[in-house]
Amino acid sequence: RVLIQRRLSGPGSSPPTCRSKCGRCSPCKPVRVSIQPGFSFTLEYYPEAWRCKCGNNLFMP
Amino acid sequence: LLLPIVSSLNEEGKALMSIKESFSNVANVLLDWDDVHNEDFCSWRGVLCGNFSMSVVALNLSNLNLGGEISPAIGDLKNLQSIDLQGNKLTGQIPDEIGNCISLIFLDLSDNLLFGDIPFSISKLKQLELLNLKNNQLTGPIPSTLTQIPNLKTLDLARNQLIGEIPRLIYWNEVLQYLGLRGNLLTGTLSPDMCQLTGLWFFDVRGNNLSGTIPDNIGNCTSFEILDISYNQITGEIPYNIGFLQVATLSLQGNRLTGKIPEVIGLMQALAVLDLSENELVGPIPPIFGNLSYTGKLYLHGNKLTGPIPAELGNMSKLSYLQLNDNQLVGQIPPELGKLDQLFELNLANNKLEGPIPENISSCTALNQFNVHGNNLNGSIPAGFKNLESLTYLNLSLNKFKGHIPSALGRIINLDTLDLSNNEFSGSVPGSIGDLEHLLTLNLSSNRLNGQIPVEFGNLKSIQTLDLSCNKISGGIPKELGQLQTLITLTLTANDLSGVIPDQLTNCFSLTSLNISYNNFSGVVPLSRNFSRFTPDSFVGNPLLCGDWRGSICDPYAPK
Repeated sequence: RVLIQRRLSGPGSSPPTCRSKCGRCSPCKPVRVSIQPGFSFTLEYYPEAWRCKCGNNLFMP
Repeated sequence: LLLPIVSSLNEEGKALMSIKESFSNVANVLLDWDDVHNEDFCSWRGVLCGNFSMSVVALNLSNLNLGGEISPAIGDLKNLQSIDLQGNKLTGQIPDEIGNCISLIFLDLSDNLLFGDIPFSISKLKQLELLNLKNNQLTGPIPSTLTQIPNLKTLDLARNQLIGEIPRLIYWNEVLQYLGLRGNLLTGTLSPDMCQLTGLWFFDVRGNNLSGTIPDNIGNCTSFEILDISYNQITGEIPYNIGFLQVATLSLQGNRLTGKIPEVIGLMQALAVLDLSENELVGPIPPIFGNLSYTGKLYLHGNKLTGPIPAELGNMSKLSYLQLNDNQLVGQIPPELGKLDQLFELNLANNKLEGPIPENISSCTALNQFNVHGNNLNGSIPAGFKNLESLTYLNLSLNKFKGHIPSALGRIINLDTLDLSNNEFSGSVPGSIGDLEHLLTLNLSSNRLNGQIPVEFGNLKSIQTLDLSCNKISGGIPKELGQLQTLITLTLTANDLSGVIPDQLTNCFSLTSLNISYNNFSGVVPLSRNFSRFTPDSFVGNPLLCGDWRGSICDPYAPK
């Protein structure tokens, strides 16, 4: 219950809703995409960010 | 009489010819850069002129394998808006004169071999929006004057050898969207000012020598989508305030963070990747992490975490990577993890877990790697494991598992590693293991296995390492093992094996390490081919075996 109260007053996050973020295209859904930060020979994972996707198009949330 | 060829090119044309001259490897790629035969430099490869002027506005010579240096003459191209020389082999320094290209909006010199300092003159480029110098050999500090570029949106200096501190002024930029500084030698601390970057989404200082703590106000960096401060020397606790971040990726791994994992992280549902591994974190894994139902990757390995694995982690329905290995976790593996139907890798190795592997884990049908090495787990291998058809890596070693090795393991056809060593498995080795044609490593050592080496092992056509040592396996070495052309290491030490070493083993031409010591082999050790590599150590403890060493029953060194 303590955590729920905290949430109302601030901390925490959610994936983007993507409501009207894909222009006229629908449905517009949040997806995780990998961001390649540089030339890398290692097998390390790439950081990920949320984008809004409709069809094959990605939009900023 | 020789007349000198007088080029009628204008200043910009001459500048382009100077640029060509200081490059090397141009013969094939800049053929049409030829002031004698084609004076229309606007038609030259990679040169773009403005619509109404004969003035060069863009130079795109990326990925052409160009060597040599960037000529100072580039500063004569006053109307250049874009320079893209990335992905060549350019060396030398970035010429100061580049600061004269005052119309530049886009400057990409990444993936070259440039060295020396970043010239201060770059700060004269007031129109610049993108500066990409990553993957070079640049040294010296980040010029603080870069902060004088009002429209800079992307600053990527990753993978160089830059030293000194991150200039604080750089943080007072509302326009900057991307700051890539990974893989340098930067020192100093993270400044609370970093949250003045109100337009920034990508902050990456991974792999530097930054020290100090995470700023207490870190949660104010609300525009950040990716925050990567991994592999530095960051100390102190993770501040509660971090819970206000809206990031999708939080990478804090490879630092010296102490204290507990703040529960508030469990409210950060936008997290796609959470990596707190390789720190000095203590205390439990907060059960509220089960709330992170959009998170795909959770890495907590290499800390000092205690307590059980929360059953709530089974609610992280999008999880594909879960690495909790190398901690001090206790209790049982929660059956709820079986709900993770997208789980690709589960690593629980080197903890203090006990009890059996829950049958429910067999429901994780996407599982590719499963590692519980080095715990106190017991019970037998769940029958359902045969359904884990995507498994390539299965490591149950150094536990207290018992019972028979299920014949059905031979159906997990993609396995490349099967390690059941250092357990209490008994019975004979099922011949079906020979069906695992992609297997590279098979380690069944230090169990209580008996019976014979299956002749089907001759079908392990990819095998490189085969270790059956320290069991009670009897019978001979099947001659079929002679078919194993990829076998590098064969270890059969300390069993009850007997009979003659089959001559066919001399056909295993990759075999470089053989140990059949402490068995009951007899006959004569083959001498030909690969066997000439093996020393007496490979054969010691077989009193009836005749070989070329002192003390052998047919000792060639014995006095005649």
